[in-house]
Amino acid sequence: MSPRNFCFLAILAAVTAIPNWGGATTNDDFARGLEWSRAGRFPEAAAAFGNAAKAQPAVGTFLNLGLAEWQRGHAGLAILAWEKASWIDPFDPRTRDNLAFARQAAQVEAPQLKWFETVSTWLPPNAWAWLAGAALWLAVGLVVLPGIFGFRKTGWQQWPAALAAGVFLLCLTADIGVVSRTQIGFVTRKNTPLQLTPTHNAEVVSTLAAGEPARVLRTRGNYVFVRTATGAGWVEHDGVGLVCPQ
Amino acid sequence: MLTPVWLSAQVPPHLPNSGLIQLQVAQPAVDVSSPVTATAAFDPPIVLPGGKSFYRVNVNATESAVEWPEALPAPAGLEFGAKARGMITQSQINSYRPLATFLYEVTGAAAGRYTITNFAVKVAGEPVEIPGATLEVLPAGSSLPADYAPPRRLLLEVTATNLFLGQPFRVRVLLPSGPGGQIAALREIQLNGEGMMIDKNAMRQAIEPVNVQGALRPAYVCELLVTPIAAGPVQLSAQGFSAGSEFTAPISIRGQVSLPGGPPKYQLLISDPVAIQVRPLPVDGELPGFTGAIGKFFSDPPHLSADRLQVGQPVQLKLTFHGEGDLTRFVPPTAPRSRDWQIIADPPPATTFTFIPLTDEVQATPAIPFSCFDPQTGKFEDLSVPAIPVTVTGTGLPVELPTWDDQGKAGAPVKLSRLATAPGRLASSMKPLQQQVWFVGLQALPVAGLVALLFWDRRRQYLAAHPEIVRRMRARRALRRLRRRLEATADAGNAAEYVHLAARAMSLAVAPHYPADPLALVGGDVLAQLEPAARNGQAGETVRAVFAAADAQYAGTPQPGPELAAIRTGVEAVLQKLEEKL
Repeated sequence: MSPRNFCFLAILAAVTAIPNWGGATTNDDFARGLEWSRAGRFPEAAAAFGNAAKAQPAVGTFLNLGLAEWQRGHAGLAILAWEKASWIDPFDPRTRDNLAFARQAAQVEAPQLKWFETVSTWLPPNAWAWLAGAALWLAVGLVVLPGIFGFRKTGWQQWPAALAAGVFLLCLTADIGVVSRTQIGFVTRKNTPLQLTPTHNAEVVSTLAAGEPARVLRTRGNYVFVRTATGAGWVEHDGVGLVCPQ
Repeated sequence: MLTPVWLSAQVPPHLPNSGLIQLQVAQPAVDVSSPVTATAAFDPPIVLPGGKSFYRVNVNATESAVEWPEALPAPAGLEFGAKARGMITQSQINSYRPLATFLYEVTGAAAGRYTITNFAVKVAGEPVEIPGATLEVLPAGSSLPADYAPPRRLLLEVTATNLFLGQPFRVRVLLPSGPGGQIAALREIQLNGEGMMIDKNAMRQAIEPVNVQGALRPAYVCELLVTPIAAGPVQLSAQGFSAGSEFTAPISIRGQVSLPGGPPKYQLLISDPVAIQVRPLPVDGELPGFTGAIGKFFSDPPHLSADRLQVGQPVQLKLTFHGEGDLTRFVPPTAPRSRDWQIIADPPPATTFTFIPLTDEVQATPAIPFSCFDPQTGKFEDLSVPAIPVTVTGTGLPVELPTWDDQGKAGAPVKLSRLATAPGRLASSMKPLQQQVWFVGLQALPVAGLVALLFWDRRRQYLAAHPEIVRRMRARRALRRLRRRLEATADAGNAAEYVHLAARAMSLAVAPHYPADPLALVGGDVLAQLEPAARNGQAGETVRAVFAAADAQYAGTPQPGPELAAIRTGVEAVLQKLEEKL
């Protein structure tokens, strides 16, 4: 084998190995979590699934993490884990059913989405991004390239361009919805105090149930300002978990 | 020597069965209606020069009712020293009678009779006469009477005279036995001195032999716990009433003693002062959790009643402290604040804490900062209680819910899903692509491609409008290729090929100027593109020579051409000039 071919193969092997960095550890954690869940050791299982999800977010990992947290009595953390699973794959029926079950058992509402946020739930968030990019450049290409290459403009070019532009506008709306949904968090602890000010001895406006959705509007120190269905106020930073940690 | 003390929870005081009844019995009244009488005397009445005596005035009234004068009508030569005043209640039939005493320590400097004449004081607004009293000071060298008894004094012993602020210390007030070895109790004991706090709850009484001037004598001993609350030098002295056999608290007796019978003779006694130096605690080096504990303390490892518990299940943490110092005023550590634990401290002096986990996320009890000050080393010592690992388990939530149909009949329960056996669909990041910089940057690639295409199109249109530019560009490229071939041919020494290529290169270089096919051009066309000076000079000669040789080769009549080495430099110079014109 010539040196040039050897270098090429080495680079190819390295590039193909990059996505699998930490994969072995992730699988180990996942397997350990499964084992502990079956043995009823839910705190340890939750820790293992948490590590696996941190290394490589996956639908199954978040699903199992939610089950372990639910068994521990952490309704808020369970709902947050299943929301993360639903974020990655909104079509997974297990996470959808578990979320409905948890909200019924814990007596908490699902987040109230705006219309463009609802649109964004039709596909996985990243799919909207790719689709928007592809539609935009397809429309631009169909409009610009015939002129450059001197092709005669025909109807078969115009119609796809218009269709691609329409798809792009729909995707743009969904993209805005995706970004807006990143502000939605879920209360992780039961009876989390909703405070009037971001201070240690602040007046408590009300308490929030575990799993209750809350929109994080801004952050100050160790507190975040959230808006919930019951009102707005300050909550300690770790009292609310975001689906997409910022 | 103070023995180690084991701290335990405080229990409520036990009242005997008759205790409540005793509280309900009416107490005897205080007699303030009887006529007020006063006595005054020197104790002893006869002293030698320089000897000390006490001038003692007793008034049957409350101390606050007596308006005692600042100065006494004392004769000159009588020196006054320490003074004290106090009050005691004398028990009478169905009543108490107050007795106020005013005491002065006096010294007769010279022999003579010193009389403090009678004088009047107001008692509750009414004048009462204080009778006169006389002290006789014998001449120096005289012998005292046989019945002379030195004045009784209290003795004061302290465990330390060099103290830190807040450091408790023990004080022993002693009343040695009197004539005949009779022991008298002390009542209304007071310690006089600025900035001292006396804990009477820790008072202990005993009768035990003590060393008085080298001899063991039984003495009444009252032990008190005193805490300095102000820094600086302090003169500490004691006073109290001798009260016969009126012991007001349980008393332990060691050795053989005789107690006086009959009604007690109340007599106000004082002690000599003891100098005490109180230093403030050092400001530097104070450790967290200092509650004022001063002494040499040690702690046993903390004991937690359970290390596996559920959320909401209380668990007790027992701390044990030993000390060489005084533990009666030992303030245990305060309960730390924790969001994950509810912590209840038993009231001092108990050192037990009740911990209740509020979440199953905790893995250890919170550490309890605590420190004490060691007066021997003058440093703060860390006695913090470390965190103790625990396992807290939470209470699970329902994993299935009942369902009912429209008729109210129970349906199949709703359940949570089973465990996923594989990670399933993966995501590189939970952050959406819309918020990732690289994805936004990726959109620049199509933009760049489009811009490049636009520029390419404009260039193409420009070149179409200006074909001479294209011809010159092509000629330049072809000329450069030919010049490389010329170099190679010259190096190979092939003169015929060199001449052919040189003629071709020159034709190629001038073709765009006409424009014409290079094959259709001759030497004259090349010469026409040269400057006049060059045309008539070396360059012209080179062109002519090259084309003449090339034409001869083309005609098949080869003639001896110019030497390759001779024309090579000239050919390169001509080609350079022609290329510059392109």
